[in-house]
Amino acid sequence: MKLIVAVIKPFKLNEVKEALTTAGVQGMTLTEAQGFGRQRGHSEVYRGAEYTVDFVPKLRVEVLVDDSIVGEVVDAVIRTAATGKIGDGKVWVLPVEEVARIRTGERGRDAL
Amino acid sequence: MHELLGAAVQVPYPSWLNTGDNTWQLVAATLVGLMSIPGLAVLYASIVQKKWSVNVLAMVFAGFSLTLIAWVLWTYKMGFGVPSLGHGVKLVNGVVTQTQFNDPHVGTWKHFFDNFVGKPGQIVNATSEQSQAASAANTVIPFHFPTTTLAYFQFVFAAITPLLFLGSVLGRIKFSAWCLLVVGWSTFVYAIDAFLLWGGGYFAQEGALDFSGGYVIHMSAGVSGFVAAWVLGPRLLRDRQHAIPNNLVMAAVGAGILWLGWNGFNGGDPYYSGADAAAAVVNTNLATAVGVVVWMLLDAVGTRGKKPTFLGGVNGMICGLVAITPSAGWVNGWGAMLVGLIATVIVWVAWNYLSKVRPFSKVDDALGVVYTHGIAGLAGGLMVGLFADPNMIQYGCGNLGVNGQVVNTSNAAYLATTKSCTPFSVSGLMYTGSFHQLWEQFRAAVWVILWSAVVTFILMKIIGLIVRGARYKEEILEVGDLAIHDEEAFPDEPLAERVGGGGPGAGAFALAGIGSGAPEPPPSRSPDGGSSGAGGAQ
Repeated sequence: MKLIVAVIKPFKLNEVKEALTTAGVQGMTLTEAQGFGRQRGHSEVYRGAEYTVDFVPKLRVEVLVDDSIVGEVVDAVIRTAATGKIGDGKVWVLPVEEVARIRTGERGRDAL
Repeated sequence: MHELLGAAVQVPYPSWLNTGDNTWQLVAATLVGLMSIPGLAVLYASIVQKKWSVNVLAMVFAGFSLTLIAWVLWTYKMGFGVPSLGHGVKLVNGVVTQTQFNDPHVGTWKHFFDNFVGKPGQIVNATSEQSQAASAANTVIPFHFPTTTLAYFQFVFAAITPLLFLGSVLGRIKFSAWCLLVVGWSTFVYAIDAFLLWGGGYFAQEGALDFSGGYVIHMSAGVSGFVAAWVLGPRLLRDRQHAIPNNLVMAAVGAGILWLGWNGFNGGDPYYSGADAAAAVVNTNLATAVGVVVWMLLDAVGTRGKKPTFLGGVNGMICGLVAITPSAGWVNGWGAMLVGLIATVIVWVAWNYLSKVRPFSKVDDALGVVYTHGIAGLAGGLMVGLFADPNMIQYGCGNLGVNGQVVNTSNAAYLATTKSCTPFSVSGLMYTGSFHQLWEQFRAAVWVILWSAVVTFILMKIIGLIVRGARYKEEILEVGDLAIHDEEAFPDEPLAERVGGGGPGAGAFALAGIGSGAPEPPPSRSPDGGSSGAGGAQ
């Protein structure tokens, strides 16, 4: 089992979600996030005072998947979240030791 | 029963009371009250950092309350009562008289101090609350409503003034220092300036004019806030460098209530619900609309980012509102638009450039009250002397009935000058070529600026001694609301767990038999329990 984490542009969420569902992902966790990479931030002006904001609003998508579809899911994220412009985000994969469904107590692949 | 029905058909009002005027005055007063709570409370609480929101709200509500209590017990009479503490304004056979005529002391300091401030006193007994208002605030027509109506209408002005300069001192002033400042300032600055300019005092007799408070309220608030901020010292460096508003949508709610509330602010000051009240309302909105558009335009062409900003629009709105306040019912619509335009350009330039020059660059006036209220109020007050249109009749002529109301009068007769009556209007330089009114406006401005500055300085020093430093320590300033009030603006329910008793929640439900039995006993806080717990761990 793997945990796939993707940080994406907020307006890409629907496309990514549909592609992941098609790839066999059963559920996901979404968090609003602020981040920066190579993309620079922006400036804001309040009452005549200028501020720079390095962090850009992003969405952090987390999905737990079986090893068999990891490649497909990562490909789906890359395919749907990309705009080709700077700031498209990142996707990474982590190994998962154990998963349990809290309601039933099922473990491992059954809990996905 | 028959008497009751009769009363329902025709309420036996006293002859001096006019229901239309009384209604409008109470509605106008309520509109102005809404400008403070929630208007200013919400506007200020949302343009400060989130960590200061609750503190701002608490200071606004406390300030409003304290001003009212002082108002009915002593300050109303100081500002609007007769007689004055000296031998100036007095009541003779129910008629307010002033001493500018037939006083051998005219032109001397004695005349000034005789007409300096009203005699303090309460207005909460039955007679005061129900008898016809008598004040030199209006000597042209008799008031058509009781003392309480006038007192409440004037109270909401007295209340909003210190709340305006809260914007200068927030983010470091102690809550206790703020409460003392509000009461002291209402007594020694507001009431005195109000009497001098409105209550029939020296400047009123000299002919200085302030329709609804460009000087007494806004310029005074701007100057006082600036001086108080200087005495207090700046906010934390981090707070100054991160002065980010927490909610622009709520800022719009507060700003919108301020704007429309101003219909009562300026529309209520003729003290009757006639044509001049309507003119004042429309002129107010015109100047404001121009202010919003002009500030946004200046932002869009004159700033580095070249973008119109919403909070800039709010600044322009306040410039327009403040600047038209001294002249709302005395200028025509063209004049109103000019006032909005000129004041907003002046304040925009001051905001962006004067703020970089001493002493402005050295004083942390947190929300810039000295610009949008101080400078806008001064500009508006002087513009009375330029643009006041003699054809804008505040009080016309005609056959006055026993109630002091005009009866059987054509519009022509209402506006006409007759042997027995000259309609009341104000004439500015543009119409008369005379600098007289401008000079009177200038003299009053100098007084209000100096008096507000000096007395605020003294008050802040005294308060600093009483509360041992008027500003919070650094470790409190770093935290803000939670350190000062044990409250935060947007509490997170899942994270909070109730400890101990207190508060009506659990207790009230337990009494009503709701909930799962008796509330759990609070964790033991007694010295025994505490030490035994610690002992058990040893």
